[in-house]
Amino acid sequence: MSALREIEFRDALREAMTEEMRRDQRVFLLGEEVAHYNGAYKVSKGMLDEFGPRRIIDTPISESGFAGLAIGAAMQGLRPIVEFMSWSFSLVAADPILNNAPKMLYMSGGQFGCPVVFRGNDGAGGQLGSTHSWCVEGMYSNVPGLKMAIPATPDDAKGLLKTAIRDDDPVFFLESERMLGMKGHVPEGEEILVPFGQGRIRRAGADCTIATWGRPVHFALEAAEALAKEGIDCEVIDLRTIRPLDIGSVVRSVKKTSTCVVVDQSWSFGSPGSELAAQVHKHCFDDLDNFVHRVHTADVPAPYAYNLEQEYLPNARKICEAVRAATYNA
Amino acid sequence: MPISVTMPRLSDTMEAGTIVRWNVKEGDEVTSGQVVADIETDKATMEMPVFDDGRIAKLLVPAGQSVKVGTQIAVIAEEGEDLSVAASGGGVAAPKAVPAAKPAPAPVPVASAPAAKSADEDETVTVGGQRIRVSPVARRMAEEAGIPLSSLKGSGPGGRIIKRDVQTAMENASARPAVPFAQVAAPAAQALAVPVAPATTRVSGGLVMAGLESERVAVSGMRQTIARRLVESKTTIPHYQVSMRFELDRLMAMREQLNTELAETGIKLSVNDFIVRGCALAMARHPYVNASWAGDAIAVHKQVNVGVAVALDESKGGGLVVAVIRDADRKSLRTISSEAKTLGEKARTRGLSAEDMADSTFTVSNLGMFGVEHFTAIINPPNSAILACGAALKQPVVRNDELTIGFEMTATLSSDHRVIDGAMAARWLKELKGLLENPATLLV
Repeated sequence: MSALREIEFRDALREAMTEEMRRDQRVFLLGEEVAHYNGAYKVSKGMLDEFGPRRIIDTPISESGFAGLAIGAAMQGLRPIVEFMSWSFSLVAADPILNNAPKMLYMSGGQFGCPVVFRGNDGAGGQLGSTHSWCVEGMYSNVPGLKMAIPATPDDAKGLLKTAIRDDDPVFFLESERMLGMKGHVPEGEEILVPFGQGRIRRAGADCTIATWGRPVHFALEAAEALAKEGIDCEVIDLRTIRPLDIGSVVRSVKKTSTCVVVDQSWSFGSPGSELAAQVHKHCFDDLDNFVHRVHTADVPAPYAYNLEQEYLPNARKICEAVRAATYNA
Repeated sequence: MPISVTMPRLSDTMEAGTIVRWNVKEGDEVTSGQVVADIETDKATMEMPVFDDGRIAKLLVPAGQSVKVGTQIAVIAEEGEDLSVAASGGGVAAPKAVPAAKPAPAPVPVASAPAAKSADEDETVTVGGQRIRVSPVARRMAEEAGIPLSSLKGSGPGGRIIKRDVQTAMENASARPAVPFAQVAAPAAQALAVPVAPATTRVSGGLVMAGLESERVAVSGMRQTIARRLVESKTTIPHYQVSMRFELDRLMAMREQLNTELAETGIKLSVNDFIVRGCALAMARHPYVNASWAGDAIAVHKQVNVGVAVALDESKGGGLVVAVIRDADRKSLRTISSEAKTLGEKARTRGLSAEDMADSTFTVSNLGMFGVEHFTAIINPPNSAILACGAALKQPVVRNDELTIGFEMTATLSSDHRVIDGAMAARWLKELKGLLENPATLLV
């Protein structure tokens, strides 16, 4: 019965934090509305009751301040979890999170680590407009010294977040407002720890490798089902973490399929998708039957209008088109 | 009455021709004798004149397309005729392209080499001036399967050869019996111009036989060069052979005498040394045998540099190089002998330098040491001829109408007919015969 338990993505996140806070007294959560309001998206519901205001801390609207506070705490041996209501709001904390946290170990000559987790909603939430719809992985994954996880399902959300909290480096943990209500099987009562740098084959196939992560995993699976009806058998790989990047799984798959489509909901220019494509070209050059095709968010600021936003984002239709082109079935 | 212009037969063996370039466009005035197109035949690219005055009403075959001899390729409207009427009424049904003509290739420069390259070159090969496009995995699969890329028709964008095309060719190849050798040995020019059936099993003159187990041995650079140059020679040079028997009794006697006398100096003259000297001297009166075809001219060389084919150790992968004895007509037998010996040893041990192999004007290939009586050789470009020498064998011969025992050798001259006609080859062999049979002349 516990094996069949289905919970929402947000519950999985809460379970991860709660379990880790029970396990380790150094772990605490801070952010806007995480305590008394039970979280803007109810991820931290009930946590104030269990852990009290010393460990579940409401902050002012001051990302630069509380991100910096968390980094200082991490340097001193605590293990803070910072919730950004949206990763779009983290931009005002760019200096502490990009200029301090990832470089601390290096710049202090190994004297100070920075075991902090920054987590929050990433990507278009649905008609939130251009400034609140950021996919920060495009910019942030560029920085060496940080780790970045982008789960696609509740079980991975729990397993990756627990790994993130235990990790000694700063981890950028990207969730999606569009997925918090998504239900999925998460085993109860057993320890789930998903290691970083290990992709997950969501669907096995022989004709084309679709490599992606986060929310687009679901678009890719939807596309794969549609393409199967056309006789194109896709393998969908969910990379789960961007740093470290499980290029090995993609390479093994592409050596089998000879074609690859990368789906990334960040902008294409200088993105994790472009990096992945470059690495596939390097490692699979003699195995490729076509160049790596990419599906990204359109190269414009996020539109507000519903129909334009839908057209702006990666979707199953665009992935189908890319796979057909990559496999010469267009 | 509109005049029909058809694909002319420009050579005896021509069955189809490719319009390399139209020099006129529809509506242009033409006069009798005017060259209106360049036609690539199985032998060369030639100019095609028209034999009537008028205006071009219609060009029926685009540049780059190959059609059979006799196919209507253009319509000329006579003076006063309406162009559009002539174009529609004068035409036959649209010509059917010879199968697998290249898809609308760019015009080929006339100066480009005839479409006769070895079929095993990779994607850098140009077919009719076009680069072959191929995906990396398709290139690798074709290479592993031994399928020449030039035999594949690409179904990807811009004609790119993709994995599927190679897989189809491999499936067809294994589904069909091996092609008879005669078919395989078709000239490379044809192999390129005519699209190979999907079941392509042609590998640069060899076969991929699906049912046979074989070990794939990587090809050395030298072997690749040999393959490329000899395919080029054999397929682009109009070879023919003329053989002659040489009485070598006196030469063998003189050689024995000289070698006995020179034994102390370490010099040992070979029969081949005499032949090299003889060939060099024979050029004086037959300069065209010591020449090269230069496209629009014949280069008659002022130096006589005789190349000697040297076979390399088979256990080391074999191979063949040509060591060049420069100014052989001005060198004594003794000098020729010592140079040939030195170069031969160098070839087999350290390898010859580029200079050692450069600038030959004629080549001698000798298999006499194996007891071979007669063989023919492929011309070593840019030479126009090569002499293939058998062994000087002791055998029953007729001398002064009497049956006796004597030394005879058969040698065969392979010549480039563009430069050397049959009678010229025969006269040169007769000259050589005079020199070798009266070997004292070789000493002066």
